[in-house]
Amino acid sequence: MSHLYVLYEHASGYALFRVKEFEEIGAFLTQVEQSVLDLSKFNSVVKLIAFSPFVSGLNALDNLNSISEGVLHEDLKLFLDSNLPKPSGKKDSKLQLGVADSKISAAINETTGVSCTHVGAVPEVLRGIRLHFPNLVKGLTDKSQAKAQLGLGHAYSRSKVKFNVNRVDNMIIQAINLIDQLDKDVNTFSMRIREWYSYHFPELVKIVPDNNMFAKVVKIVKNRKELSDDALEHLEEVVMDSAKAQAIIDASKSSMGMDISPIDLINIQLFSSRVIDMFDYRKNLHEYLHSKINQVAPNLSSLIGDQVAARLISHAGSLTNLAKCPASTIQILGAEKALFRALKTKSNTPKYGLIFHSSFIGRAGTTNKGRVSRYLANKCAIASRIDCFAEIPTNVFGDCLQKQVEDRLKFYESGTLPPKNAEVMQEAVLKAEETKNEIIKKDKKKKKKEKKNKKKEEKNDEEEMAVEENGVTNGNGVEEHMEDMKLDEDQVDGEDEPQPKKKKKKNKKSE
Amino acid sequence: MGRPDFRGGSRGGFRGGRGGGGDRGGFRGGRGGGGGDRGGFNRTRGGGVGGRGAPRGGARGGRGGARGGMGAAKKVVVEPHRHAGVFVARSKNDDLLLTRNLVPGDTVYNEKKIQVDGENGEKIEYRVWNPFRSKLGAAILGGVDQIHIKPGAKVLYLGAASGTTVSHVSDIVGPEGLVYAVEFSHRSGRDLINVAKKRTNIIPIIEDARHPHKYRMLVGMVDVVFADVAQPDQARIVALNSHNFLKNGGHFVISIKASCIDSTATPEAVFASEVKKLQSEKLKPKEQLTLEPYERDHAVVVGVYRPIKQAA
Repeated sequence: MSHLYVLYEHASGYALFRVKEFEEIGAFLTQVEQSVLDLSKFNSVVKLIAFSPFVSGLNALDNLNSISEGVLHEDLKLFLDSNLPKPSGKKDSKLQLGVADSKISAAINETTGVSCTHVGAVPEVLRGIRLHFPNLVKGLTDKSQAKAQLGLGHAYSRSKVKFNVNRVDNMIIQAINLIDQLDKDVNTFSMRIREWYSYHFPELVKIVPDNNMFAKVVKIVKNRKELSDDALEHLEEVVMDSAKAQAIIDASKSSMGMDISPIDLINIQLFSSRVIDMFDYRKNLHEYLHSKINQVAPNLSSLIGDQVAARLISHAGSLTNLAKCPASTIQILGAEKALFRALKTKSNTPKYGLIFHSSFIGRAGTTNKGRVSRYLANKCAIASRIDCFAEIPTNVFGDCLQKQVEDRLKFYESGTLPPKNAEVMQEAVLKAEETKNEIIKKDKKKKKKEKKNKKKEEKNDEEEMAVEENGVTNGNGVEEHMEDMKLDEDQVDGEDEPQPKKKKKKNKKSE
Repeated sequence: MGRPDFRGGSRGGFRGGRGGGGDRGGFRGGRGGGGGDRGGFNRTRGGGVGGRGAPRGGARGGRGGARGGMGAAKKVVVEPHRHAGVFVARSKNDDLLLTRNLVPGDTVYNEKKIQVDGENGEKIEYRVWNPFRSKLGAAILGGVDQIHIKPGAKVLYLGAASGTTVSHVSDIVGPEGLVYAVEFSHRSGRDLINVAKKRTNIIPIIEDARHPHKYRMLVGMVDVVFADVAQPDQARIVALNSHNFLKNGGHFVISIKASCIDSTATPEAVFASEVKKLQSEKLKPKEQLTLEPYERDHAVVVGVYRPIKQAA
């Protein structure tokens, strides 16, 4: 015989119910199922022991967050401690607490020592409690229960939206999408300038085929009839070829283009300066992306390059999502349409998707393209996982993986055997540890420096303060000590860190 | 009152709408600049709709005002639909699905509004429900026998997205009912929260529907589970949530997108296998319906959970 208590978490508070003693679980289950429909019957099965409402909305949200993560909140612990009967010495009174999910059951068991269950009759009992809850607790109506849920639901959802795990990834995704958009736009705008300016100076397109350069030359040349030899220097700066600059000036003198009115020219000039700005902006954006992706996914970006890495992340939705993808998925990421068409018609599936844009596949021979793609996708999967889960990111693995792909390419070309994977990885692990330690050291130094600066400032402040008030220094001394302690902790963390990493590596090798 | 025959008649009227929100892919675009194609829709429908909040709505409020000289004010007749809480606007050219606006004067996704004089002379505002943007709307127009979502009902809505259909469900259940709207995506969740701010019978829950225990504190027992999650393990998701939150004898309404579950099998086979999966989880399907003119390879399955025996 056992005493079953059931914990029910509600938006308005925690409730503890005592379930009628029962002999056999199978018979009991059917009994509960029948009684669930009728409140009076259900009342004979469960009895409310305690109900503790949340103090405030904030408190409720805090508790909800703990519950949804399966963590035992302080309030819940207090509630259970004060309301569960203390296990008395008798042998036969086994106390069991029924909860809704396995995580919280483990957490409660660990901290309070109460044996928990979330199977058997518990889900059924909880269903009943959920149905009749407003009637079981005094002072709670259907309306007020809905109100509590509404308030808490809003608070919870808002906090979820606010705290987005993929913050940095989102910036990368937006940046790469903007770059793609800019590429398209800049191209169409450049075509427009070419068309427009070619009425006046049709020969220029042939001499300056590059879009950016063309826009810049247009800004310098202006009206070709007024182009003098003085502009040669400027032109040379832009086209970076003296022969070309001379050719422009020569062509301007014997052009077959029509005359252009000043107002038309002004408009062309305005537009071309816009386009030049856009080119500059695109360049800046590229640098921004480069720095971002090197922070977020250093290994992946050094393996396949910034843009492709960013596109992969963007297509998967986030770096975490990408890390969860198997290599076979990464291989055809971006070729979904072709894949599903192939699956439907039972023809050949595509060999590559987005990773086609990396230089490796273009360099492979036709017969080996698929193989290289597969190999590269494998390495991308490894790199993205390291990036996602490593605590101190370095690009050592990315470089090693890239080298491996290069070796593989060489092997397909000339037959020179690449070094064994195990050896390469062994080396990489060692090297990664080294760099990591260096980074940790650097961080520490930086922190120390910052602290010193702070101290100096503080001292200065103190001196100033000391003039006004005495006795502040003492307090500061304690703080400093505390900071030292913190630093030590950091150090320990740093030294601990490489070990789990090693294990991860081993797992990968066994793959 | 027979079923409105929307299949033939409404096609022309809604053609404008299809570009904006016809398929899911085009949805984003539709939200931003939806005004344009709705303008076209206005023209085919003639007067009658006073597009108040809509971007193109030149004729403010007044019924029949847009038509100008043609003048006959009684162009639209609003009738209650077979399903409680749903209404139909009948006019010369076509019929429109409506719900009574819970928050008069407010639109959720720039849909049209229709104002009608009530019995006591007050104005009653309805919102037009576009079946191309809502699978529930499409199911109703397709002639589904029961939607179980009715005034005063509590609904667990899985896959709430930006809250377009959710807003209509909240119209139907009214101030006495409740809609627990679960959505996983943070991006659409943002829009959903904004919808829920104005409609107090929607409880937004930004959480994965696969883990009902994570939001168990927020949800009470419900009468209906509606699921539009388009996931391969959809049946499992619905079952999990039903076990936790759906009362005995409660109903479920699921829209199934065949290509999301298996893109290689035929849609019919996919629907059949999904129905099998549901049956094994005490979810008893009663009715199945394809959403043909509105969505391709979609089906809606309606059923009952742990039916209560009549003898009891």
